[in-house]
This record gives sequence, structure tokens and C-alpha cells, in this order.
Amino acid sequence: MDWSSVSEVAIPHPREIQVAVVEWLDERYPFTKSVDEALYQRVPNFANAFYYCFGGMVFILIVLQLLTGILLSLYYVPDATGIPAPAYTSVQFIQNTVYLGWLIRGVHFWGANLLIIMVLLHMARVYWTGSYRAPRELNWMVGVVMLLLILAFSLTGYLLPWDQKAYFATEVTIKIAGLPPPPQLGEFIREILQGGPVVGPPTLQRFFTIHVFLLPALITLLMYVHFRFIRAHGISEPM
Amino acid sequence: MADSTAPARFTRRTFLGWWMAGLLTATVVVGLAPILVYLWPAPPKGQKKLPVTVALDKPLDQLANGEAVKFDAPTSPNTAFIMANGGGDNAPGALAFGGFAVKDTNGKPHVFAINCSHLGCPIAVNTTDSTFDCPCHGSRFHLDGTVLHGPATAPLSDLSWKQGSDPKTIVVDGLELGF
Ligand code: HEM
Ligand code: FES
Repeated sequence: MDWSSVSEVAIPHPREIQVAVVEWLDERYPFTKSVDEALYQRVPNFANAFYYCFGGMVFILIVLQLLTGILLSLYYVPDATGIPAPAYTSVQFIQNTVYLGWLIRGVHFWGANLLIIMVLLHMARVYWTGSYRAPRELNWMVGVVMLLLILAFSLTGYLLPWDQKAYFATEVTIKIAGLPPPPQLGEFIREILQGGPVVGPPTLQRFFTIHVFLLPALITLLMYVHFRFIRAHGISEPM
Repeated sequence: MADSTAPARFTRRTFLGWWMAGLLTATVVVGLAPILVYLWPAPPKGQKKLPVTVALDKPLDQLANGEAVKFDAPTSPNTAFIMANGGGDNAPGALAFGGFAVKDTNGKPHVFAINCSHLGCPIAVNTTDSTFDCPCHGSRFHLDGTVLHGPATAPLSDLSWKQGSDPKTIVVDGLELGF
């Protein structure tokens, strides 16, 4: 091959292409300015310690859960009627037949477990560095709500495979939720959660809706609030 | 690379720029590939090709010339017929959920997939004119499957079939869908 002839051709550097695209966009909306404002923030030196990454890792895990969750919902059937129920067989189908289904399901499963560990670590660091104190109390409260949402994700997601473990684990948790006295109140909570007198198809329907519609919307909203607060306060100085 | 006399416009910088852009692209592709694989539909467990025995409303040998009977694909388990040929919207290997057994005006038997070769609507027999008419855009076919009137341009698709052991039946190539 005669490379000298190749070198005659003016091959653009990829950056020239990038600049052309960005300029086209910027003429229509100041994207560069907005992105710069959002990203060019100095991280104070004290915040370079690894434990300041925990919150960001929680965020990345949540994005991963949303992505793999959407993929799972393409094959999952939230229907607990009949034996075997479509909920159960569709999970078996994902696990054994869908190409790389075991992988996507596995990532969603392990991501959920890791998420709880990381949220607790993040919370521990916020406690350890005393960052819950004024003026950041509200963000601590938002964090507590998000912790509860994460746990609610786990609780509702655990039922969805509709196998023996899922069914009886949910029976136990709902039984616990129904403990508060007086018995009428406990009974009321239990029936609301179950959508009927026993754990059955209506329970799966409720848990599914909470797991895939309600909780993702809530946690996305709260993460946005959480991050706006952090921007407003700045990362706290060490004690 | 470039010899020393040529103007070296493909510089080391350009090369490295493209190298990095390539690496970035490869990373994205490697990340997206498993998702695409996952989205590709896996065949349901019970899916298999098999000959389907169809009981006709009127046995083929009793049809008069220019008479046709409609039949449907079985629904338990869900089954479709496989087209043997076809043009336009139809194609060999495409699926049909019904068909017609017909003796054309010359007395030759045919078994057609029900789908119009224009855009796939189910055709119906016109007993007055002895034609197949499509309700969707007005295509018409002779009883031997050839086009009488557009917009369809391709003849009807044949199904692969043979006479069943019971003279009331025909055996048609089909696909059990597995759902
Ligand atoms: C559930 C998902 C959560 C996400 C995605 C998240 C994300 C983050 C991120 C990225 C930061 C920046 C600093 C860092 O990463 O350490 C942060 C800070 C903070 N988080 Fe969270 N967090 C979550 C849950 C919680 C929980 C459970 C609490 C406590 C109950 C909490 C309380 C706080 C507070 C008070 C700050 C400010 C810390 C400071 O200014 O130094 N967060 N969060
Ligand atoms: S589909 Fe039959 S005429 Fe268009």
C-alpha cells in the first residue's frame, strides 16, 4: 500500500467533527453553557476521599436498575392466575430461554442487593462526617425517604417471580405489616397490601404496579431534589 | 507511514484522535451488544413445524368446478400455515392463519393461503363472479390464484398440502407457535 497517497487526503481529526456538531447545536440552544454550568464545579480537596463516592455509586446502580428493569419488563407477565402462573413461567422463560436473559435478570438481582449496601454505606459516611447537620437536615430527610423507597423496591420486587420463596416471603412480611394493634388496624393494613383476604393475584398486581410505576417515579423525583440540595449547600466541610 | 516528501496531513494526532474515537465507539458497542442480543426474540419452547390435518367443510373431490371452501388454522394449540411461495406482501415461509381449498374453473384443485398479496388482508370468495375479492383495497384474483384486478400484482400464495387419509381432510404444512 502506498501510504503517501493516503496522506494526501485531508482526513479530519474527530474533534473537528465534534466541534461542527456542537456548534450547530449551540446556535440553537446554549447547550455548552448549560452543561458547563452543571459540570464545572470544583470538588473541594477534602471531598476526594473514596467514601464521598458512595452517593454517586448509588445513583449509578439506580440507573442500572432502571435499565435492566425496563429490559425485564419486555418479557415479564404480571399475572398470577392459574398454575403455573404466567408470572412464574415468564420469569423461567427469561432465565432459561431469552438470549442473555439470565444475565439481565442477574444484573437486576445483584444490583438490588448492592444498592442496599451502597445506600447504607453512603448514609454511614454522611453520619460519619456529620453532614446531616444544619443546614442539611432536609437532605437527610429526603435521604431517609429514599432509603425507605429502596427497601420498598426490594420488598415488592421479591414477590414478582411468584415462586415458593417469593410467595411465602411476602406472606411473612405482610403478616408482620399486619401486626400493629388494635387487630382491626392490622387487618386493614394486611387487606390493603394483599388486595384481598389472602396473598393472591391481586397482591402481585399491586406489588408490580408499585415496583415498576410508582417507586421509580418517586425515587427519580427525590434524587433530583437531593442533588439540587447538594448543589445549593455544597459538600459539607469535614467536622 | 507517510514518506518524508509527501505532505503528511494524516498526522500522528489525527491517527490518535481516530484511535480514541474508535475505542470509545467500541466501548459503546460492547455495552449495547448484549442488550440487542437480549431483545432478539428467542423461539418459544413449544415452537415446531408439523403437518396439520384440516377437516374441510366439503371434501375437495366433491367441490364443483369454480367452488371454494374456507378453512382456519387450529387455535389449540395455536398453529399457522406456512406459505410455499408468494410475492408482494406474501413470501415463501411466511405464515397464514387460514386458507381456501378451491377447484378452479378448469377443475384443477388448489390450496391457497388466505392473505391478499397486496398487503395481507384476508380475501373472501365472490360466488357470483367466481373470484377471490379483497375487502381492503379491492384486489381481485381468479380462482387459480392469478391476479384479475390490482392493486395486487402477485398471485395468491400456495400452501404445501396433500390429500389426507380421510377424504374429508387435507394435510397442510404448518407451524405450532408455542403460545
Ligand atoms: C437512595 C439513593 C441515594 C442517592 C442516589 C444519593 C446520592 C447522593 C450523592 C451523589 C451525594 C453527594 C455526596 C456523596 O456522594 O457522598 C449525596 C449526599 C448526601 N446524601 Fe445522599 N443519596 C441517597 C440516599 C441517602 C440517604 C439514605 C441519606 C441519609 C438518610 C442521604 C443523605 C445525604 C446527605 C445529608 C448528603 C449531603 C452530604 C454532604 O453535603 O456532605 N442520602 N447523596
Ligand atoms: S390488502 Fe388486499 S387489496 Fe390491499
